[in-house]
Amino acid sequence: MESQTGESMAALSEGMERMEARLEAAAALFERAAALIEQQESERTGEVRKIVAAIDSGREAELEKKLEAAERQIAELRAQIEAKSETPAQSARRTVPAATAQFLAKQGISTLEAVEAGALDAALNGLSLEQRIAVKAQLLRAGVVS
Amino acid sequence: MRLEAMAVNLPEVAAHPNRAPFTGVLTLVDEPSTRPPSGARGHRVIFTRKAALAALPSLLGMAVDYAPSWDGHDARRKCGIITAADVGGSRLHVAGYLFAKDFPEVERQMRQCPPGAMGMSWELADAHVEDMRAEIWTLTRATFTGAAILLREKAAYRNTSFELAASRCRSILPRTAAQDGADAGATRRFREAGSTALRGRTTRKEETWNHRQAKAWPR
Repeated sequence: MESQTGESMAALSEGMERMEARLEAAAALFERAAALIEQQESERTGEVRKIVAAIDSGREAELEKKLEAAERQIAELRAQIEAKSETPAQSARRTVPAATAQFLAKQGISTLEAVEAGALDAALNGLSLEQRIAVKAQLLRAGVVS
Repeated sequence: MRLEAMAVNLPEVAAHPNRAPFTGVLTLVDEPSTRPPSGARGHRVIFTRKAALAALPSLLGMAVDYAPSWDGHDARRKCGIITAADVGGSRLHVAGYLFAKDFPEVERQMRQCPPGAMGMSWELADAHVEDMRAEIWTLTRATFTGAAILLREKAAYRNTSFELAASRCRSILPRTAAQDGADAGATRRFREAGSTALRGRTTRKEETWNHRQAKAWPR
């Protein structure tokens, strides 16, 4: 029961994350489109609403901020990758759904640290093609197989 | 050298505590900016002489502002007013007053900074660009909406300047409120050759002034 609740919560949060990413992408697209329309209109008429004869220190600061954020993100991703390569089992435990882990355990794969391709195929033999793909995709996401 | 000038006549008050006269070079005309101005989408700009002259009336009475970091504009920090402008050669000179009592930090900065460290920057609205695909935009029409005092290195035009007058004492005749009211808001426009007109006064103007003053006394 608990595992089912946890699973559905994980699926829900995954769905929310996906939705958030899509919304962010859509918002960025809208912003770009609006800027483009404004620029096209301005190019057509040759009119510029406001110009200031000071160098764009605001833009420089904004770019610096973006660069800093990007560098931080890269560092975080690197750290994650390193952590993943050091402890694949931990990350697998974090992300492989409990039902999948239980199913694999029933098939004789009790540890997810190093799953051999042959053993995995043998374990998944009884499943339909779609189920096999789903399980492998989950393991792939978890970094258990590559 | 050709010179085109325009000024607002403000009533003069000797040693006004809140007026610190300044002069400066706001921009260069018919010359490309040293760096792209903000809002020009990365293009350097040329402000044509014709456009600058046409825009001179819009410059008079506009405020000068400053940012505490001296690196740009802050339209909400208006610390002075432009009362005169002229285009001499390739330079657009301006003159006016700082509100020195209200903004002592501005006067302090001007007095303490090394000579030539400060410059100026304009703010234009409704600018018309001849060809927006050109590498350097040519501004053929614009309206001045303000100016800023800033570090010269932060200005799009490196050859701008800003200087406070050494003394606050300007002229000198005590004037009545009626005289001030009669003269305030008047504009003068003149064209001369080979002179720096902003600081000088013609004899004719002095005569007019004396005449007005004489007429005002009996009242």
